[in-house]
Amino acid sequence: MRLLIALAVFAAATGCEGQTGPPVVAANVVVTGPAAQAPMAAGYLDISNRSGEDIRITRVSSPEYESVEIHETVVEDDIARMRRIPALEIRNGETAVFERGGKHLMLIEPVGTPGQITLNFYSDDVLLLSVGTEFTAAMD
Amino acid sequence: MRARNLIAALVLGTAIAAGLALALRNAGEQATPVASTMLPAGNELPDFTLTDHAGTTVDRTVFAGQWDMVFFGFTNCPDICPATMTVLGQARRELAAEGRQPLPRVVLVSVDPERDTPEAMARYIGYFGDGGLGLTGDIEEIRKLTGALGIFFQKAGADGSNYGVDHSTVVLVIDPRGRLKALFSAPHRVENFVHDLPLITASE
Repeated sequence: MRLLIALAVFAAATGCEGQTGPPVVAANVVVTGPAAQAPMAAGYLDISNRSGEDIRITRVSSPEYESVEIHETVVEDDIARMRRIPALEIRNGETAVFERGGKHLMLIEPVGTPGQITLNFYSDDVLLLSVGTEFTAAMD
Repeated sequence: MRARNLIAALVLGTAIAAGLALALRNAGEQATPVASTMLPAGNELPDFTLTDHAGTTVDRTVFAGQWDMVFFGFTNCPDICPATMTVLGQARRELAAEGRQPLPRVVLVSVDPERDTPEAMARYIGYFGDGGLGLTGDIEEIRKLTGALGIFFQKAGADGSNYGVDHSTVVLVIDPRGRLKALFSAPHRVENFVHDLPLITASE
């Protein structure tokens, strides 16, 4: 049983007027890999855009990793191909799903041994969303 | 009274027929692989020289003497590879819990020997359970194996040391005589391996 803890979900000033609740919301957040100290881990979550306008995620960072990239695995004819997505657009009212074998965050080179992990999603310099989770070993 | 007996007999007969039909259908399901393709010809593996995760030089005989579930991936793969290795490890544990024998070994053949040293393979294999095998080595030697088995891999998105490798997602089943016996296509699910592997290993 994976333990997922959303530590914080908040958004920058992109919310639409009169709207209640955060304009960009995360759910089902998990960071997994063979082990916390492995050079690569993967992040999965759902990001719902309720901001009233389209958003564009151009950068993801984590204090626990050297770098974080958005990638997508596509399996066709039994061949897996993984490609980097430089920027991810999420239309207003839609949800981007990061899942195994599909879009995922690639967390590269842990700084120390991550336990709690924070993921920050930006549109240029604007922080859209910050979420926290615990590292989950792939065996769990 | 006679009519009541007739109705009762009809109901009983229908129930027996339905039960028999269900039993026959279940028996058919049990005997047929649900997610794998059996390869009755049992293609033999080619000659190759690789290094296992303990640093020992091995050849094709490393596949002799036990059933193997073989996946081709790399330790820097964050998505498909750990997911597949987790499925294989879990399937093996579930088969063990059911008391099934033989228990196929989980084998990872690296398609990224540049970064996958025997030490890296040892760490990685260990994450997914006991008794696994990691193979790495010279890329031309790996290609001897992948080429004969129809496994594709190609370096992609080169960016210094941060690159990916496109690769086949199939899991191959090798018999104790070192012959290719079956393959599973993605998406891989634990229940499919638990269902099909006893059928495959019973087919020798």
